[in-house]
Amino acid sequence: MMGAISRVLIANRGEIAVRIIKACKALGVESVLTVSDADRESMAARLADRVVCIGPPRPQESYLKADTIVAAARGTASQAIHPGYGFLAEHPELSRLCAEHEVTFIGPPEHCLREMGNKLLARRMVASYGIPVIPGSEKVRHIEEALDVAGKIGYPILLKAAAGGGGRGIKIVTKPAELQTTFETAAAEARAAFADDALYMEKYIPLARHIEVQVLGDSHGNVTHLGERDCSVQRRYQKVIEESPAPSLPERLREEIRTAAVTIAQNIGYQSAGTVEFILDKDTEKFYFLEMNTRVQVEHPVTEMVTGVDIVQEQIRIAAGEPLSFKQSEVVLTGHAIECRLTAEAPERDFAPSPGRLAKWAVPKGTGIRIDTHCYQGYAVPPYYDSLLAKVITFGKDRSQAVDRMKYALSNIVVKGVDTVVPFLLFVLVQPEFVKGGVHTKWLEGLLEHSYDKKQGPGARGRGPGRKQ
Amino acid sequence: MTLTEDDVIRILKLVEQSTFDELHLETGEIKLVVRKKGCGTVVVDTQTAATGTTPIPSAPAREEGTPVSKPGQRKGKKTKTVSQQEGLLPIKAPLLGTVYRRPSPETPHYVDVGSLVKEDDTVCLIEVMKVFTAVKAGISGRIAEVLVETGEMVEYGQPLFRVEPEA
Repeated sequence: MMGAISRVLIANRGEIAVRIIKACKALGVESVLTVSDADRESMAARLADRVVCIGPPRPQESYLKADTIVAAARGTASQAIHPGYGFLAEHPELSRLCAEHEVTFIGPPEHCLREMGNKLLARRMVASYGIPVIPGSEKVRHIEEALDVAGKIGYPILLKAAAGGGGRGIKIVTKPAELQTTFETAAAEARAAFADDALYMEKYIPLARHIEVQVLGDSHGNVTHLGERDCSVQRRYQKVIEESPAPSLPERLREEIRTAAVTIAQNIGYQSAGTVEFILDKDTEKFYFLEMNTRVQVEHPVTEMVTGVDIVQEQIRIAAGEPLSFKQSEVVLTGHAIECRLTAEAPERDFAPSPGRLAKWAVPKGTGIRIDTHCYQGYAVPPYYDSLLAKVITFGKDRSQAVDRMKYALSNIVVKGVDTVVPFLLFVLVQPEFVKGGVHTKWLEGLLEHSYDKKQGPGARGRGPGRKQ
Repeated sequence: MTLTEDDVIRILKLVEQSTFDELHLETGEIKLVVRKKGCGTVVVDTQTAATGTTPIPSAPAREEGTPVSKPGQRKGKKTKTVSQQEGLLPIKAPLLGTVYRRPSPETPHYVDVGSLVKEDDTVCLIEVMKVFTAVKAGISGRIAEVLVETGEMVEYGQPLFRVEPEA
């Protein structure tokens, strides 16, 4: 199938590698998987047509080595590389090396990676298309400048690493007295994390929702959206629960946000799957561009469940030069889908990662339940990578059915050998605010602070804040 | 053509007086490798090795265009576990890339079956994106099996040679 691409090299691991291999199989395309020494026995390695070991377990020596990955693609005669998410997915370097060695990068054109990867440039570009961006600054070099800018924007403000993204390198400053210290630590952290201490400032919107729009563009100039997702249930800027469509959102606003995302994607000449993230101010009902993720998103399955579009297959088709398999007018969101990220973390130990061997692993099946995972009974969760064990996705005719199915699915997962967040997720799902829908991005942290006793588990109220033990 | 003991001694003297570290001589069935580095000079007559007990294995099939299933080999890297048959130790690829068994098309192989190697001896090169990395033997002994050929892509940890360790 698909003239231009008959063999895809998958430069990733875990559940997304399994997901991409499945898409390849559905398209009749061969899959070559790169693994580190720690992933030779992974489920993805069992499913792929061929496995190539690219280095030791540490990502810096394997999954982050763009030259080795492109050499592996050449050496296995793979015509294309799918980078998944994380690792090198948004690094222009992999895309550039691919172009240089005549390997197709399954993702957007390199300029999109560069432009959207530079958060300040992305803000400027998006603002120039008439889309609102959060009031903020360009790079701020000195504390005097920071004080000046903060005075103009008004407190509270956010300090962000210019090279950051995905919620990393962000600090809140509520009053001028805090600015100096926070400015210094933020710059030091940005230097350590991103090798770039440049910071910029944004107005902090206290009651905000995180709404993002899935877009797909092809090489024939077609850009469509697949509706939005609400990812406001977050802990430390990391998404915990995602859903589509966004609950309790006025239709006018929903349409405006979707249109804004398509406008941005069209203007930057976007191709492949991408996600435009917005912040929605709950008080004013105004939305602002946050950032664009130039890759397939962890939470893409909720969109697939409500639209019936296979996003990963579309990515491969688009890379092969084919037009999108559907028109915007054919995109109809049906029902409701929710995703919970099932991680090997111990809520009672402040969500510390909990690697280990899965002595028991069993996941339920049933109507409206989809589980994307790379785990199996006996699998040793390696300590080198992220702690995601599975994405539990449920679909229902409406939100309440999807939530009920999620409770059923989570209650019937059997995991032994590692700690997981299952009890915590079940606790979140029954909270009245969550049941109502439309929580803000700090809601979960507040819940953790006040009602979730991490030592005793869910429901042990009145034992004081469980955050610091 | 054969080499007499006298010939070898003459060659050794010539090499000793020269500025070269290494000499590879190949005529018909005879191969001579002389090195000045390490503990003294080393002479190898591959006639015995080639006709001896160790069969020369063919390199694993790895044609482009055919999917090859999972790599079977799996062992910790630094622990030099003795391979199942014949007490041979593998020299494994320290990185993924393309193998070069000689520094240039005109020069002889770094090592061949029968070559004696010291830990620091280069046994082949691996190239990734025009960057060449010298692969060291890591162990002392005699090359018993050559498992790869020039131009072949090898994976991280893939056995390149098997060595009969020094007694």
